[in-house]
Amino acid sequence: MLTTSPHLYIRRPSPTTAEFTVTTCPPLTLPLRLALFGILLLRIATVGLVLLAIYTQYVAATFTTATSPTTLPDLSLSLSLSPSDLASTLQALLSALLASPLGIWIAKASSHLPPYAFCGLSYLLLYISLVTRIHTTESVLVLRGLGIQTSSSSSSGAIQKTRFIPTAQIQDVFINEAFRGFEVRYYLVVVVEGEEDVVVVFPRLLPKRRIVEAVWRGIRGCLYEQRSEANGGYHFQGGNVWKDGGGGKWQQQRQRKVDGGEKGLG
Amino acid sequence: MAPAYNIAMVCDFFFPQPGGIESHIYQLSTKLIDRGHKVIIITHAYEGRTGVRYLTNGLKVYHVPFMVIYRSATFPAVLSFFPIFRNIVLRERIDIVHGHASLSSLCHEAILHARTMGLRTVYTDHSLFGFADAASILANKLLKFSLSDVDHVICVSHTCKENTVLRASLDPLMVSVIPNAVVAENFKPLSGPATSSISAGAGGQSFGHHHGPPPARQLGPHDTITIVVISRLFYNKGTDLLTAAIPRILENHPNTRFIIAGSGPKSIDLEQMIEQNVLQDRVEMLGPIRHEEVRDVMVRGHIYLHPSLTEAFGTVIVEAASCGLYVVCTQVGGIPEVLPSHMTVFAKPEEDDLVAATGKAIAALRANKVRTELFHEQVKNMYSWTNVALRTERVYNGISGAISEAEFYSYDAASAVAAASWTANRGRSGVQSFALIDRLKRYYGCGIWAGKLFCLVVIVDYLLFLFLELWYPRDKIDICPDWPRKKVKQQQQQQRKES
Repeated sequence: MLTTSPHLYIRRPSPTTAEFTVTTCPPLTLPLRLALFGILLLRIATVGLVLLAIYTQYVAATFTTATSPTTLPDLSLSLSLSPSDLASTLQALLSALLASPLGIWIAKASSHLPPYAFCGLSYLLLYISLVTRIHTTESVLVLRGLGIQTSSSSSSGAIQKTRFIPTAQIQDVFINEAFRGFEVRYYLVVVVEGEEDVVVVFPRLLPKRRIVEAVWRGIRGCLYEQRSEANGGYHFQGGNVWKDGGGGKWQQQRQRKVDGGEKGLG
Repeated sequence: MAPAYNIAMVCDFFFPQPGGIESHIYQLSTKLIDRGHKVIIITHAYEGRTGVRYLTNGLKVYHVPFMVIYRSATFPAVLSFFPIFRNIVLRERIDIVHGHASLSSLCHEAILHARTMGLRTVYTDHSLFGFADAASILANKLLKFSLSDVDHVICVSHTCKENTVLRASLDPLMVSVIPNAVVAENFKPLSGPATSSISAGAGGQSFGHHHGPPPARQLGPHDTITIVVISRLFYNKGTDLLTAAIPRILENHPNTRFIIAGSGPKSIDLEQMIEQNVLQDRVEMLGPIRHEEVRDVMVRGHIYLHPSLTEAFGTVIVEAASCGLYVVCTQVGGIPEVLPSHMTVFAKPEEDDLVAATGKAIAALRANKVRTELFHEQVKNMYSWTNVALRTERVYNGISGAISEAEFYSYDAASAVAAASWTANRGRSGVQSFALIDRLKRYYGCGIWAGKLFCLVVIVDYLLFLFLELWYPRDKIDICPDWPRKKVKQQQQQQRKES
């Protein structure tokens, strides 16, 4: 419900620029927005609870039970929000939380768990609520005369990784097949001059062939349009499209068919 | 018009590894592509050769990596291959799975999975096996398992067919014999036209340049006769026999010498024999050579000696004959079927007889009784890959029901009723039923314990298949674009003209 299979958005702010975004996020409707907001609240609540649980463990480990009654009367003072005693106010709030039924319940629950389980569980909950993302979005931005910028979230999903490849360094853009897990997948590749490894576009999502082909056409069209005019024809992708020499002919044929269809329509 | 199939050749053995099975698969695939079919090859990953590759003619090769789960621990092979195999089969829209070689586990697994997925299967056997020793018994049991449910079996010679039928308890009717072939153009004798094309490719190999005596049409009584042996130096290739025979042959016939190419564990024995008898100037050991260099070595000799103890077909003797060599070979396995008698001298696989046969061949050559220069044309007419592809295509037609059972198995309608007993668990005409219960029946007959075990394996495989259908649904798998197929019509017309 929250995610869909990867699909493609193309943005063309100018004739020489194109951005291809592949995302698992469905179109944002009101119910979806509400659900996402709910999830955000849930995450904040989870983080708060975990921190509270850690704090109770900390309190239990460092202080004896004698500390708790002394902090109780400070609750009334906490209303005066002067910045000077912010720390003490916070402490007062925390101790108030500790004394509340929720705090007591959490302290009980966390003291029942063995320490390693407590650590593991709190780490897991923090990781899920802070680091993981529901949607994966990867994009490639093509600027004619400048180059290609690929962006993708790292494996944890928190940090956005971008990579810019100047046009001068781009040797080729092509589609290849490879084994991945128990499958054979198509993927779009940029060959960068002077680098041993190729740059895979959309490395996490590895969208289906239809999307990859559309992006590949778009990138070729946007990057090398000059060359296609020089060739005087529509098959701007010319020769060695698939690096292995496999689908080249097929691509050309298909391109012709597509163009033929368009001409028929026009 | 015969339908065009999508065929997957599955074998553990494929290029870059050299060998007979490898080139058989390649040649057959190329010729099938020429006939308008789509062929892919599934093999395992070799060092430096992984992933999906294309060869000439749009032949696509999948080098399946072994699924490494943790460090070098792999999934049980039978199960881990199935998801990848299913993925490949679905994306390439395969109709027929054709496995090769009985020692290739990948092939047997593929046949099992293919049957589970409801595909037609063909199996080609390239080798002969014994029945007595423990390893053979185990191998035969496994063969029986995977061949219990295969649609059709192809053997490379009649001896091989007999062997396979016995080993796997098959119905002889479902076993066809389609011999290997050679690319005759690559094995031309020296005197023939356009000889230097291959030796140019040998690229500075030392032996390519010392030119041996060309096979003179008329041999004088004192001309040197060169005997060539090209084989892997293993026990089953008869290297022991060779080691024993060489000193005696050289002693009996003064103007003879040997060229031995190939490597293997028995090469030490040969070297010891050479040193003991001080034959360094009369026996030349070339070591391992590549397949494309074989012809260059062969044309340096007059006689090809093939001392093998077991051989299903023996492509190498066809190659030797094609190069214009007189062939001396042991009468074992499928060898007697391979060449006509005027090209060969047969020997029993024992030392005395081999020495005598070689003597006979040398005498015949010295007397100029053998017209070796005619061999090339004769072999060219006997063996061609196009013919092999045609006959294989007929097998495909038969198992997929494109030609009727009566036509495929060539019996008339009257005996079809009589034959109904053996086709009891077959569904359509000549086609084995895919129903799980029918498959289990076939496997159950494999043995008291083995039968039950095999049934268990098949059931697990089926459950895995159902799980995969749920987990990796078919509609989520990308379909591959086909390489543009060759036009079959023109070729059929050509063949009609030829015939």
